[in-house]
Amino acid sequence: MAPKLRISHLGKRFNELHALLDINLDVERGEFISVVGPSGCGKTTFLRIIAGLEPASSGEVLLDGRAVHGPGGDRGFVFQNDSLLPWRTVFANAIIGREVAGQVGAAERQRTMELLKLVGLEGFENYHPRQLSGGMRQRVNLARALAIDPEILLMDEPFSSLDAQTREIMQTELMRIWEEGRKTVLFVTHQIDEAVFLSDRVLVFARRPGRLLESVVIELPRPRALAIKRTAEFVRYVDHIWRLIEDDVRASVIEEKV
Amino acid sequence: MLDRLRQNYLAGTLSVLGGLLLWELVSRLLIANALFLAAPSQIVHAIYQLTLTGEMGRHIAISSVEFAIGYVIAAVIGIGFGFGMASSARFKQALQPWISGFYATPTIALAPLFILWLGIGIWSKVLVVIFLVLFPVTINTEAGLRTTSERLIEMLRSFGATPRQIFFKVSLPSAVPFILAGLKLGIGRGLIGVVVAELFGSRAGLGRLIAQSADAFNMPELFAGVVVLAVAGIVLTAGFGWIEKRLVPWTKD
Repeated sequence: MAPKLRISHLGKRFNELHALLDINLDVERGEFISVVGPSGCGKTTFLRIIAGLEPASSGEVLLDGRAVHGPGGDRGFVFQNDSLLPWRTVFANAIIGREVAGQVGAAERQRTMELLKLVGLEGFENYHPRQLSGGMRQRVNLARALAIDPEILLMDEPFSSLDAQTREIMQTELMRIWEEGRKTVLFVTHQIDEAVFLSDRVLVFARRPGRLLESVVIELPRPRALAIKRTAEFVRYVDHIWRLIEDDVRASVIEEKV
Repeated sequence: MLDRLRQNYLAGTLSVLGGLLLWELVSRLLIANALFLAAPSQIVHAIYQLTLTGEMGRHIAISSVEFAIGYVIAAVIGIGFGFGMASSARFKQALQPWISGFYATPTIALAPLFILWLGIGIWSKVLVVIFLVLFPVTINTEAGLRTTSERLIEMLRSFGATPRQIFFKVSLPSAVPFILAGLKLGIGRGLIGVVVAELFGSRAGLGRLIAQSADAFNMPELFAGVVVLAVAGIVLTAGFGWIEKRLVPWTKD
């Protein structure tokens, strides 16, 4: 069977700088894949190119065999900051993707309500973003992307602005939601343990040039509970990935200081 | 919390009442000369008398009409200009020098000229109001549309939104608080415009009332005109605040 998403010889250059160099990847339907790497490894650029928010300099992205040119309703993007419209209610925010596509019939409204329930926001439909906590706003962000029933979910460090406890809760929530529909997911994060916990595969990126260093298959049983983070197997995965990027991370930290 | 609010409210009320009392005492005991100052009680009496004779109503009606016509025209044109400037760089370049120039100039000084052109009827005042209100509205509208959050635009773009959808679903709503702020700024400026233009030459209006009272050294009636204007300014601005709270609640908390 053809892969859900095929990325071949993908490159992105900003002037002389290779932000991404020759990325090749096949993603199967229903796979949960994370992308980790140090700052400046191009992982967010990678996601944005797949979303069609940025053009690639070379190579191509095929979703269900069709080349991606520009944004579209077949991909749902979950933003790092929630990017909710402050004047809209939770419901009106969640359904905006459908609205853009001109589909706001009873079925879509019903579906959006179900998704809000799924992400744990039942009863909050008429609240405004300013009345919600950071975790709740990210739930709306997720529901908004799911509401267009995308072929693939693209998530750009969606939990990075949350505190550590809320983040862990959101990780288990995301797993619960994902088990319901088994969407294909590409999840960018800088938290290695988050990537291992969530994923079937972790793509480790390196910097200068931004490239795919290794694809680590995570063979932990599902469904996974938070306690799995304390198992020896889990820690081995985290250690392995950390060793792959350690030097790069140190280098990027020093650069940021300078 | 509520107690503190109540106490703050009380402080404001006491301060106003105390000020009025002081004013009353000063004008009765210290400057007991009716040519220079009128006591609050005399002003209230003058307002009452002018209202009874129908003169106050006439002045208020004329000034209101001048203000309303000028304000509405300026708001419509100003918002239109703001939209134009936000959507076309060339239009903005063409208009910007005029906007900056007129906004910085005390255009109120053009009032005598407008009266020469348009006569002492209401239209010279309308023109003054337009000149004073137009620019803050234009500038704010343009700024509001221009400062739309890039993140929000990108969010909508990720769903494949057209530029038109982006404008109506993101840029426009996020510019509304700015447009309202410009309109609010216009209230005070417009009121000043009406009164000053009337001072330069008119048959009726609150400015006329103030001018003729000054000529006759009738301090209570002069202050009556000023007080009515102050009340109008406060009521209009407060009314605007109320509309803002309903229309753009996300900017206030």
